[in-house]
Amino acid sequence: MAVVGAGPAGMAAAVAAARAGVDVTVVDGYGRPGGQYFRQLPESFEAVERTAHGRRADAVLGDLVASGARVLTSTTVWGAFPESEGGWQLALYGPGGVGVLHAQALILATGAYDRPVPFPGWTLPGVMTAGGVQLLLKSQRVLPGRRLLLAGAGPLQWAVAAGLVRAGAEVVALLEGAAPGLRALRHLPALWGQWQRLAEGWGYWRTLAAARVPLKPGWGLVEVHGREQVEEAVIAPLDAAWHPVRARQMTVAADTVVIGYGLVSAVELARLLGCVLDYRPAEGGYVPRRDAHMQTSLPGVYAVGDGAGIGGAELAQIEGRIAGIAAALRLGRLSERAAQAAIREEQGSLAREQRFARMLGALFGPRTGLFELADDTTVVCRCEDVTLGEIRRAVAGGATDVNEVKGLTRAGMGNCQGRICGDLVAHAIVLERTGRADDQGALLAAGRLTVRPPIHPLLLELLAGWGEGVAARSGDGAAG
Amino acid sequence: MTVVVDGRTVRAWEGETVAAVLLAEGMRTFRRSLVRHEPRGLFCGMGVCYECLVTVDGRAYVRACMTPVADGMVIETGASQPVPAEEHPASNGTG
Repeated sequence: MAVVGAGPAGMAAAVAAARAGVDVTVVDGYGRPGGQYFRQLPESFEAVERTAHGRRADAVLGDLVASGARVLTSTTVWGAFPESEGGWQLALYGPGGVGVLHAQALILATGAYDRPVPFPGWTLPGVMTAGGVQLLLKSQRVLPGRRLLLAGAGPLQWAVAAGLVRAGAEVVALLEGAAPGLRALRHLPALWGQWQRLAEGWGYWRTLAAARVPLKPGWGLVEVHGREQVEEAVIAPLDAAWHPVRARQMTVAADTVVIGYGLVSAVELARLLGCVLDYRPAEGGYVPRRDAHMQTSLPGVYAVGDGAGIGGAELAQIEGRIAGIAAALRLGRLSERAAQAAIREEQGSLAREQRFARMLGALFGPRTGLFELADDTTVVCRCEDVTLGEIRRAVAGGATDVNEVKGLTRAGMGNCQGRICGDLVAHAIVLERTGRADDQGALLAAGRLTVRPPIHPLLLELLAGWGEGVAARSGDGAAG
Repeated sequence: MTVVVDGRTVRAWEGETVAAVLLAEGMRTFRRSLVRHEPRGLFCGMGVCYECLVTVDGRAYVRACMTPVADGMVIETGASQPVPAEEHPASNGTG
């Protein structure tokens, strides 16, 4: 069994399956397991104290090591191909070069990345995602700037704001798009049992209040100005659909703008394999359809964690365990009874975490106005420098889906392979055709960029060397 | 350890990424964009957006946010990345 991704979900799946006796290989692009959530400080950094979070990370990583699962780090999965006799061949690229890994069961735990939100000036150096800033703070102990403006919705950016304040940065304002009001009270039951999270949230607000960070609920970004980097940002209150009320806008000086509008699931592999995906904007965009065992529409392929719908680390671990057990059952390592019993044990916490995730999605999910900030001069495809104006002209000229727009403008042909711009191009098509950026039916009709291997850019010279004795590699780099 | 950034020797620590070293030095512009030659820097911070491309030890196309530093590493910023075809050393000028 192969697990793609060694974050909370992937590690939980690997441990569950390995303990049942399955031969497990985990593949992760980073140099060490942990994903984004359990990202560790480099060993050479002297930690002043070991936090509770750090101890949890140690425990989870210890379980992975003890489970016997093979872990291939600094290794990217760039392709996945079904084998005629069953199972899949994963194409890998790691420190030893290119190789393949055969698996009879596949668990996709590919995680998520920050939702890209284009607005005038978003490509200036100094505009960064909340997730990226969080990583700089947590695992590199580097401040990305001195005067930071945060714009987004939801708890991730509150955590980042608190982290920045504690690190000595000046947070000029925290713009929170969501201003829930009384309607949010119906979500109170979802908070039951989430004492840890409530305590964390309370901690963030106390830090921000003590530092007198201007908190602006119901506000958002309009645009960012600067010659070579961020110099100032124009902000405004938002209407109910998150359109800026420009008559009340103001300008603030900042050297860094942090965008935190939630996460989108990384589903390239699921799409490449042919899994059925559903569009769920409040859950991270397109997510693989799954059954109660986390199995996708392809038997033997499971999807867990934020890569299958945004839900946080707790939910990721629960889903990972369920999928690991289900895969072990499928591979004959567990009896039906033992597997069902183990999965049943997870149902209570699964439901609780799903409720919490749905609440976050309902309260902090993106609204139409967020996708209508760009103007015709705004670069939408950052890799190929394609503006919204060029995309709209392509649509006006007859292009009806993202692949046609790509063929005409090159949007989506760059290094990121449409990870950043794919959905944005779809929104632009819908906006051009219907006048609204998030007409759901029109969004689905606009489609998604076709995914073809390699799903990460790969140097041709590496492929040229393939076949000359390069075989599947185990964790220590030995051929085998 | 030390690394060389645009000709300047800079101190770095084992486990730091190239991006972290550049940001700690106050450097924000990592490259110029392909067509419009606009300044670009770190955006997603996790290897997805390919904005943070720098040249490391002579190799272009390197994501600064995903690359740990090594002693003596030579880092160059500010170039247009990806390298336009007509400027590529392998091009014979007819591209």
